[in-house]
Amino acid sequence: MIHFRNVSKYYLTNSGRSYVFKNIDYDLPVNNSIGILGPNGAGKSTLVRMIGGADMPSRGEIFSNHRISWPLGLQGGLQGSMTGRENVRFVGRINGIKNTNDIESMVEEFAEIGKYYDEPIRTYSSGMKSRVAFGLSLAFDFDILLIDEVTSVGDATFRSKSQKALQKVREKTHVIMVSHEMNQIKTFCESGIVIKDKKFEYYSNVDDAIRDYKDTYVKV
Amino acid sequence: MVAPVQSRSSLQVMRDTVSALMIRELKTRFGSSRLGYFWAVAEPALQASIIAVLFTIIGRTSLSGVPVALFLIVGILPFRGFFKIAVQLSAAIKSNKALFCYRQVLPIDPFITRLLIETATYVIVYIVLFLIMGWVGFSVVPEKPLELAMVNLIMFAMASGYGLVLCSSALYYEDTTKIVSLITQPLFFLSGVFFAITMVPAQYWHYLTWNPLLHITEISRDAMFSSYETPVGDWGYIITITICLWGLGLSLYWVNRQRFIAT
Repeated sequence: MIHFRNVSKYYLTNSGRSYVFKNIDYDLPVNNSIGILGPNGAGKSTLVRMIGGADMPSRGEIFSNHRISWPLGLQGGLQGSMTGRENVRFVGRINGIKNTNDIESMVEEFAEIGKYYDEPIRTYSSGMKSRVAFGLSLAFDFDILLIDEVTSVGDATFRSKSQKALQKVREKTHVIMVSHEMNQIKTFCESGIVIKDKKFEYYSNVDDAIRDYKDTYVKV
Repeated sequence: MVAPVQSRSSLQVMRDTVSALMIRELKTRFGSSRLGYFWAVAEPALQASIIAVLFTIIGRTSLSGVPVALFLIVGILPFRGFFKIAVQLSAAIKSNKALFCYRQVLPIDPFITRLLIETATYVIVYIVLFLIMGWVGFSVVPEKPLELAMVNLIMFAMASGYGLVLCSSALYYEDTTKIVSLITQPLFFLSGVFFAITMVPAQYWHYLTWNPLLHITEISRDAMFSSYETPVGDWGYIITITICLWGLGLSLYWVNRQRFIAT
């Protein structure tokens, strides 16, 4: 369960407070993987970031007994001035792992970026960054893995590799995933969330969620 | 093969985070120029020697009955320490922004990390310089060692409170760090680094005593030298300023805690 207690999130804009979420009170069950659906700007990334502790609600609180990963996304997460290896070490240490040799070589193997692994992140291409970031998040045994659109970058080899890795991880770990590709949501998620009216709606069956999403947002 | 993630108490999480940040900071700080630690000691020593040489040229070898070099170093160290700490701390939160996407890393963590690094550096520089000066023949045993330690501790607390205020200010004004360096220069001449207040006519004292850094240099010399007794150094004043800065700094931190991590 992830508990939402009176959660509101707003951003300050020139015309005042712009609410993304308003007064959410909900206990979100996480006994399987969840896909998050909504149009651009509805707050999918914000929701994932708040669950992952990378962002705070403006009011209220979110808490859980599960061990939740950081939001694995396209931006952020890796510090530009540190090398890939140093980033891996850093994340290992803040997660309480004293000996980081194992995860270092694990990520190195997964990322397959050769000598760039020991170069600063700012010299990486975006594909290389997501290789390291993705490998890093697979190195820990979290209960819940938060994924924000990251599998949709990279070349064909990396995409099939990451899809396979995700399938394997799913045996033990549940995924909360943001994606605009319905096929991907269907493959990886059993249930779904649709964001609407500054709240979200939970469906225990992902097909119901997709139907609601299409009814609400997709107008042809 | 995956690494097991243990549940830890908040205190353990903070300790792990600060030590991870410490390794990262030390690498970027002293790793890029291998002479980093050398300069930390050499800079204040050079500064003191240049002014000492100037004083010798104009024919003064002692101030208030104390050898010029020692008199200067006791003033220069806390003054430079104060601004070094404030400048380093003011950028602590901003330069680690990318790492706040991990829930373990809170904005206060890089602040604490830099504070620890600066404390260690300052104490090492202080002791090394005193040892060197003792070795070349100055009498470096403080008259009141506990008071000297205490005034340095208050300097630390004041500088870090000031640094915490600057962290929030850096959110709104990009140039905060530059402005801090800018006001360092005039304060160098107003803080009694190369004079004692007793050399200034008493009717002008009240222009200078609003400056808490002057009190720190004055009390430092009072504690260090048996021949010098400060007429103005006021413990109550510097402690009050420290408490005010920390109160302001913590309030601003709390108000801005979301703004710090917002990307």
